[in-house]
Amino acid sequence: MSAPARLRIVGGAVHDPANGVDGDVRDVCIEDGRIVASVPSGTPTLDARGMVVMPGGVDIHAHFASSSCNHARRLLPEEHTADPVRAPAILDGEGPARSGTGGTLPTTFATGYRYAGLGYTTAFDAAVAPLTARHTHAELDDTPVLDAGCFALMGNDEYLLRQIAAGERGRASDYVAWLLGAAGAYAVKVVNPGGIEAWKSGQRNLTEIDQPLGGTRVTPRAILETLADAANGLRLPHPIHIHCNSLGQAGNSTTTLATMQALAGRRAHFTHLQFHCYGGGAGAPWSSAASTVIEHVNAHPEHSVDVGQVMFGPATTVTADGPVEYLLYSTSGRKWVNIDIELETGCGIVPYTYKEKAAVATLQWAIGLELFLLAKDPWRVVLSTDHPNGGSFLAYPALIQLLMDRSARDEQLKRANPKLLAGGAIADGLAREYSLNEIAIVTRAGPARLLGLAQKGHLGVGADADVTVYARDADIARMFSSPRYVLKAGRLVVEEGQLRRAPRGRRLHVRPGFDDAALRDVRRHFDAYSTVAFDNYAVGDVPDDPVRIGP
Amino acid sequence: MTAGAAGRAVCLGCGCACDDIAITVSGGRIAGAVNACSLGLAWYGDGSVPARVTVGGVPAARDAAIRRAAELIADGPAMVYLAPDITTEAQREAIAIADRTGARLDSVTSDTAAAGILVGQRRGRAAATLGEFRNRADLLVFWAVDPGTRYPRYLSRYALNASATHIPAAGRTVVAVDVGAARGPAEATARIGLAPGDEAAALGLMRAAVLGREVPGLPPALAAATDLARQMARARYVGLVHDGETGPEPVDPQRAEGLVGLAQALNGPTRCALSSLRAGGNRSGADAAMTWQTGFPFAVDFGPGFPRYRPEEPASAALRDIARVLIVGAANGVPPAVAAALAGRRVAVIGPRASQASFSVEVAIDTGVAGIHEAGIVYRMDDVPLPVLQIIPGPPPTVTVLRSVAAMVGTRPAKAGGR
Repeated sequence: MSAPARLRIVGGAVHDPANGVDGDVRDVCIEDGRIVASVPSGTPTLDARGMVVMPGGVDIHAHFASSSCNHARRLLPEEHTADPVRAPAILDGEGPARSGTGGTLPTTFATGYRYAGLGYTTAFDAAVAPLTARHTHAELDDTPVLDAGCFALMGNDEYLLRQIAAGERGRASDYVAWLLGAAGAYAVKVVNPGGIEAWKSGQRNLTEIDQPLGGTRVTPRAILETLADAANGLRLPHPIHIHCNSLGQAGNSTTTLATMQALAGRRAHFTHLQFHCYGGGAGAPWSSAASTVIEHVNAHPEHSVDVGQVMFGPATTVTADGPVEYLLYSTSGRKWVNIDIELETGCGIVPYTYKEKAAVATLQWAIGLELFLLAKDPWRVVLSTDHPNGGSFLAYPALIQLLMDRSARDEQLKRANPKLLAGGAIADGLAREYSLNEIAIVTRAGPARLLGLAQKGHLGVGADADVTVYARDADIARMFSSPRYVLKAGRLVVEEGQLRRAPRGRRLHVRPGFDDAALRDVRRHFDAYSTVAFDNYAVGDVPDDPVRIGP
Repeated sequence: MTAGAAGRAVCLGCGCACDDIAITVSGGRIAGAVNACSLGLAWYGDGSVPARVTVGGVPAARDAAIRRAAELIADGPAMVYLAPDITTEAQREAIAIADRTGARLDSVTSDTAAAGILVGQRRGRAAATLGEFRNRADLLVFWAVDPGTRYPRYLSRYALNASATHIPAAGRTVVAVDVGAARGPAEATARIGLAPGDEAAALGLMRAAVLGREVPGLPPALAAATDLARQMARARYVGLVHDGETGPEPVDPQRAEGLVGLAQALNGPTRCALSSLRAGGNRSGADAAMTWQTGFPFAVDFGPGFPRYRPEEPASAALRDIARVLIVGAANGVPPAVAAALAGRRVAVIGPRASQASFSVEVAIDTGVAGIHEAGIVYRMDDVPLPVLQIIPGPPPTVTVLRSVAAMVGTRPAKAGGR
């Protein structure tokens, strides 16, 4: 089928929770890449009778297009050798047909193809050092189909830490605004606030939010408050996106809760929460603290999370959180990359496998599910595996099955190591099963709303015509792993389960305003300490207009 | 007329990619390059490059040469070879051509810098961008390398710059480890000497010392090495520097393995980063682009219909079985071993000074030099991407010529089992 400017998707069961549509059989009309109320008779149709229609998937947090990801790709030749990707049979003239390789960190073209093949049409790389943002945009240029953007790492930025130490919050806000534009980024990312700088400067790490950085007055709390206020004051579409201190450590839930309480009343997003919900420590065995942490989230509408579910199988841990990767390297004995990134952040990489016979891995798996199943508001507790840290994005269909089918969870539990599960909610039996509408919320509508993407994640008039059509299947994982049709901006990219088009995606970024006078001090800082000239730092022109900022 | 007057031009004379070069232009030629070192001045020259197009050594129309190059590469078995001095945009386009035609794809890296990358793939690495060496390293150890020779501004810009965020200017200690004739910099305040045959043992003993395992009764040179290891473990941030490129002196193949292991071990008692010096011309960009498009940094075979890694066979060896080669980049930047292996092959060159290649060329299409005639992205030796500007006009851009070639090559069906 050619790609008409108009199309009517006929007779599908539509799940569009943002517009209150829960499985109603209705047509979806498309014109010039947008959803419209109606199209003229005679418009070409796509028969979706008996099928499920949802907006295109939106991934709020993944790692797929960054200098760190590329370091990880370089580290994993054995994975790439084991998972070759032939060029798809794309229609003539419909975009480059490129081969590549897969594994936990696929090559760029394969990433775009595979996301599209799952029905995902929007995704964000969640951790980009502004110094290397130019690299991210080059990778995104080579990542087809996806509308995509990136989050800029700021929680350990030398200039910002100096402003916080000096109590210069206004200057910090201007710097945040400038840095977002300079990096062509969409949101502010905070990873282990202050902890990466501690790792680089010999203090090794900061694990509590009031722990001072060296001899300064800078603490994780001060960093978080400053950046949260800056992001909210700038009216960014997405609030600060926080990877808390003490990731992956037994007993870290106290730090997580302290962080959430510190930001109570402020809009904030807490990412891969599963990795921050551990009880135990100080001699006590690891345990689940999911119930306690999700209770806070349930009670605080200004806060949102993505889960960062662990899935059994291979993963690659890649994060700016250098100290945690050193610990993982020390305990796992796997190969390890650390790259300190000047004046800004770090990078650590360790390949890893979550084994169902391993007690801690099973606990992590269970905690993620507990967070999903105990969440009262799916709009604020959305799906991620922190790809590729908890597992590949290719595991999303299997995760959806776990959420929708208690028997699938129980079967997995039988095979897993129960040693650390006692007392956790999953061991007590959580009967909840997600509905299709709830799946639509946690994979599309919720992430889009949290990201402030007004035209994504729904099928109302004016929305981008990113649509996924699934053939119903009793095997839920199979159903979600191979949609029958995927439309991107109104064009069919997947037909009969096959990728047929690979158009370039749109770049999602913001460009907030700031006081130009503040740049004089930033330039002085660059002149004194940076190895990159101030005038060479900003990425320059980014494809597509910035996303509008404001209410 | 002055271009880059604010001092933001990027020099690709070596992998330092100094981006503080102020270029002056007069009469369409480069008249000055303030801040450039001797290598940089030689790299810039006056910016003049030929703008010829030849087929069989005879001047030809550009379209005809492009068609001939496309036919040459499409008739495989072929290799697309990334030579220096092109932007990453051009590298990406060249990789696409290799993918579409099922060619072998390689770069300068496989014959000059593969050893360190392969160790990194086996073990990982502890590294940093260059600014961290400048801002944090209170102890710099130069292992069998004096950057002043092939990376002239490395010391002043990245190691010993007086302005640093975390250490005072006088707070640095510089140690040279001389291995045979390969000596460290004169700026070193201390140095130890190792015989080449002792190098691997020294690195192993140093790592053991860092891990707290002492070996008594060592000969003086090895004892000095373990003393240095203990000194490194007491430092706050160690910058360990070696040459990632092959040089005039033969290198123990275990050197890279030993240095990577030592740097990683030092991150137990303190912090340490290993700096692997790389040559210029945007070589690191080729590694990066190949990695994100294929999963591998060099030595890729698209013959099976997907990227297959052949790291055991550098370009100079792979050319034994390949009759057709498209070189993209500076012809004078092709390593001697590869240039020698081109004998008897049908070769097309699209790049700076293609028409002046020292080897026999069937098709030559001169293009401009990245950062002189062509704008785009290049990579510093530490994988930091930088923008380059067009300073003076030149021949049609490399990426434009490559797109024309790409438009002419069809997609070759994959062959079972590769070549």
